[in-house]
Amino acid sequence: MVKTNDDNLSLVIHKKGDLRLEQTPIPTNLGPNDVLCKTHSCGICGTDIHYWVHGFMSSFVVKEPLILGHEVSALVDQVGSNVTHLKPGDRVAIEPALPCRMCHHCKEGMYNHCPVSNTQVKGSPQFDGMLTRYFEHPADFCFKLPDNVSWEEGAMVEPLAVAVHAVRRVNLTLGQTVLVCGAGTMGMMCLAAAKAHGASRVVMTDINEFRLKVAKELGADQTIHIDLKSFNVETYVAKVKEALGGQGANVTFECTGNEGSTKVAIYATNNGGKVALVGLGPLEVSAPLVNASLREVDIIGVCRFRNCYPMAIYLLEKGLVNLKPLVTHKYPLERSLDAFNKMLEPNNNAIKVLIQCNKDFN
Amino acid sequence: MDKRDNLSVVIHKKEDLRVEQSALPSEPGSYEVQLASNTVGICGSDVHFWKDGCIDKWVIESPLVTGHESSATVIKVGSHVKNLKVGDRVSVEPGVGCMACQVCKDGFYNLCPDVLFFGVPPTGGSLRRYYNHSSAFCHKLPDNMSHGEGALMEPLAVAVYACKRAGITEGSGQRVMVTGAGPVGLLSALAAKAMGAQDVCILDINESRLKFAQQMGINKTILIDTKLDTESLANEVIAILGDSPDITLECSGAESSLNLAIYVNKDGGNVIMVGINPRKVSVSLSSAACREVNLLGIKRYRHSFPLAIYLVSSGKIDVKPLITHKYRIEEALEAFHTASSPTSGAIKVQIECFEQS
Repeated sequence: MVKTNDDNLSLVIHKKGDLRLEQTPIPTNLGPNDVLCKTHSCGICGTDIHYWVHGFMSSFVVKEPLILGHEVSALVDQVGSNVTHLKPGDRVAIEPALPCRMCHHCKEGMYNHCPVSNTQVKGSPQFDGMLTRYFEHPADFCFKLPDNVSWEEGAMVEPLAVAVHAVRRVNLTLGQTVLVCGAGTMGMMCLAAAKAHGASRVVMTDINEFRLKVAKELGADQTIHIDLKSFNVETYVAKVKEALGGQGANVTFECTGNEGSTKVAIYATNNGGKVALVGLGPLEVSAPLVNASLREVDIIGVCRFRNCYPMAIYLLEKGLVNLKPLVTHKYPLERSLDAFNKMLEPNNNAIKVLIQCNKDFN
Repeated sequence: MDKRDNLSVVIHKKEDLRVEQSALPSEPGSYEVQLASNTVGICGSDVHFWKDGCIDKWVIESPLVTGHESSATVIKVGSHVKNLKVGDRVSVEPGVGCMACQVCKDGFYNLCPDVLFFGVPPTGGSLRRYYNHSSAFCHKLPDNMSHGEGALMEPLAVAVYACKRAGITEGSGQRVMVTGAGPVGLLSALAAKAMGAQDVCILDINESRLKFAQQMGINKTILIDTKLDTESLANEVIAILGDSPDITLECSGAESSLNLAIYVNKDGGNVIMVGINPRKVSVSLSSAACREVNLLGIKRYRHSFPLAIYLVSSGKIDVKPLITHKYRIEEALEAFHTASSPTSGAIKVQIECFEQS
């Protein structure tokens, strides 16, 4: 059990370009509904990189130092007096955005719309994250990992949950065809989730050959490499349709945020189909809305997830998704800066980079 | 020192209801408001707790403040409350989920295994002068609604929720049969009309209740002759509606009414079991099953107060005639006697809880 004078090394962003490893206080006074966790693994996300390189991500602006990290698996160290579903020694995946539970969004089961939840996303300004040795968290946002789900998979539950939410938002059903634009972590998660939910054929696009190779390993039926130098929307729409037997996709997961890719996503989706906007790009882009409108191609936003962790963990437990090939690099917390630098390296052959936050697990 | 009095209506045990002081509320929590109770209606379940000291497995083992059909005024707000301010008049939703379990997070807070409800042990009700409540469960009343109407939003929420579960939709041409013309049946018939049913009829064994229904604008009424068989009664329903009902709102709990509903309702339609029969009932289940007559229960309501308030505030439903008796909190015992008497002619008895200046 942790003591309050134990080491709590944390990765703190002070401002754009300024990431530091420093000690932060170990939480004391555990609330009755909270658990104290010992972090095992934390994945780095594009959002973390954006905070580091630009100092902001959409409306989240780094104004004061904050601990980063929101894709976490951890060991329960202590439980508050009201906690019954977890005990010390349990392995958990952490859901990082905490709603108020009281507004009408929360009451209606749409807690990802809660305005308070946007101010309480761990690892986003200004709410300390979990790239640290120990942290506290409400017990009902900690989800027990089955024995056969590894720590690394546990740290990927968060992005997988985004994909599960996206799949639900577009009502993907057994036998439908799917286009995934972008083979980064989110594209891979959407590929895996779509297959697990019965997609009959998944086509993926990306500018990076290495990533498309990994996508094939994960079950993509066909991959299409995009040559940026000669990019043309019509060309790639035609390639996608050809890969899908002459028709557009029933459902598309746009996982790049890139304007060109978004255009392809809309044009390459079948009449009556849906496009989920998973990737985040510039605040405003040019998109063929009249085309989408007249063909009833619905454009569907995705904001994190709600009530998706149980399903994400189930998919991992039953082997309905295989995410192990996505972990390409692991670093100890002490080498966090190397991890972040690796993410920025060109041709890094990196997909998911994990940081391991504790040296030992007794 | 807080010098306010907190006169309350407390059930000590079976047939032992007392009007006495109870503890004043502490400061409201960060997501709570403190309320000055205004008007509280008496429900059949409150009477049941009084007469029997229990309902099912909920037993009153220590003195408990009763009352759950409430309106109030906000007198203090917790630090995180955004939806209300001091002075706001509210209708109070009495069933609060834990808001942390998977059931609550999915939005089904009425089904929370740890739900707390006014007047059901261990949760004190609203028949007192002051109490705290979760601000998320207090609904602001428009200026054109009285406190008395505000206290009728709880039973109207039951009716609204039943109609939602039934799938009543404007423009769908649905015919609705309501069995039972007590307050819940009356409100269900009114809600069905307001929410878009093409036609509504109401049945009861009591003629004066049906007369009242007609005064409230429910013109199609059938006085049940208990000597008649199901088929004959069904024919009366079909005659008055012009066809079999698409939907039944069963508001009596009577076994015979449930069987009538299964018999006469259209195939593929919904029968909502609003009324509660505590005993095991004998029903033609296979008949319902192979005609896809769906039997749907309700547990109180969820997400229904705003629509109930809108229906009254916009004038689509007039609930005022249902309020037949009003008492001061000091006279609560007399109010309960009136509410439970078969000859008092009471429909809704309400109690005013505020201090008189």
